[in-house]
Amino acid sequence: MDEDILTTLKILIIGESGVGKSSLLLRFTDDNFDPEQTLTIGVDFKTKKLSVDGNNVKLAIWDTAGQERFRTLTPSYYRDAQGAILVFDVSSYSTFAKLETWLNELDTYSTKNNIVKMIVGNKIDVDNREVTREQAMAFARRHQTLYIEASAKTKHGVQSAFEELVHKIIQTPGLWESYNSDNIHVNGNKNHADQSGCASYCSLT
Amino acid sequence: MADILSETVLPEDLKKFEKIYHQQLYKNDVTPKAQFEYAWCLVRSKYPADIQKGIVLLEELYKTHEEGQRDYLYYLAIGNARLKAYTTALKYVRSFLILEPGNQQVLSLEQNIKKKLEKEGIVGILTAGGVVLAVGAIVGVGMAIAKAK
Ligand SMILES: Nc1nc2c(ncn2[C@@H]2O[C@H](COP(=O)(O)OP(=O)(O)O)[C@@H](O)[C@H]2O)c(=O)[nH]1
Ligand SMILES: [Mg+2]
Repeated sequence: MDEDILTTLKILIIGESGVGKSSLLLRFTDDNFDPEQTLTIGVDFKTKKLSVDGNNVKLAIWDTAGQERFRTLTPSYYRDAQGAILVFDVSSYSTFAKLETWLNELDTYSTKNNIVKMIVGNKIDVDNREVTREQAMAFARRHQTLYIEASAKTKHGVQSAFEELVHKIIQTPGLWESYNSDNIHVNGNKNHADQSGCASYCSLT
Repeated sequence: MADILSETVLPEDLKKFEKIYHQQLYKNDVTPKAQFEYAWCLVRSKYPADIQKGIVLLEELYKTHEEGQRDYLYYLAIGNARLKAYTTALKYVRSFLILEPGNQQVLSLEQNIKKKLEKEGIVGILTAGGVVLAVGAIVGVGMAIAKAK
């Protein structure tokens, strides 16, 4: 039921096509893996309830295609997101090199300036790694993002990636607001003017 | 919280892609990309007339541009579902699933539409072309009740 849900968080998954964005999401929401995962059309959406630090939150997760022909329109889905997962494939250096572009796009189009970013190095189950953990961690540190290594295929790291992201979002003041019981702002939202952020749970204050 | 069927396009995005499309139309040289981007915005509009326009553009693309067919089918399903034309939406979903039976994204859209159809059943029937019949049935029931009194 919705009553014990602290808040709903909007999470984005971005990165090059084929790095495993949809597979990570499918693993997280349905604990499933499809070796023949098909290409995402435009943007897909899934929800999932998650309990972090004793708080129940609902995640509204937007999975983007990453393919060139959808690139002009996907940034419009970035608005109001509180968290972003930037995925690359550890067995493909070029997908890692593209992270810079994805971070720039996020900075340009996200409407919350304190959005929490997490880089996920996926497919760590494969043998031919082209990006080391150290390289990726150094990059993440330089860009002040979280970093986790994962495999949608083996499950490794998937659950903790989402948990860590949510943990960090909840700890970030002003990034989210509670629509619990009596409309008290648990976390005094500074983006009050941001009308679209409170479509369904605006405080009366 | 907005989901794939209730999420709407920003007016400035719609305007932007409308402009690009019309510029190309003026030069009589519309690319499938511009037409698709404009249609993608239209089917996510708040206004049924826009959605209808988007559907027409997508149907045209579907017939003329083979490469993007799965994209067009998917957004045709979304556009029709947003117009509450659930039966038509499910028709497009089924055409898609013949091409890609296991597609997760489309299977979950199908579930989504079926749930709406269950919840708003009568509306689905009305837009599926049975308007006269359904209204007739309701009136008939009303008259029967009135007579019984
Ligand atoms: N070995 C391995 N393959 C994966 C993993 N994650 C995804 N894949 C495969 O990589 C391909 C692309 O995955 P997909 O989720 O569609 O990538 P997306 O385009 O980023 O959404 C598919 O064939 C997946 O089965 C993983 O962790 N390990
Ligand atoms: Mg995908």
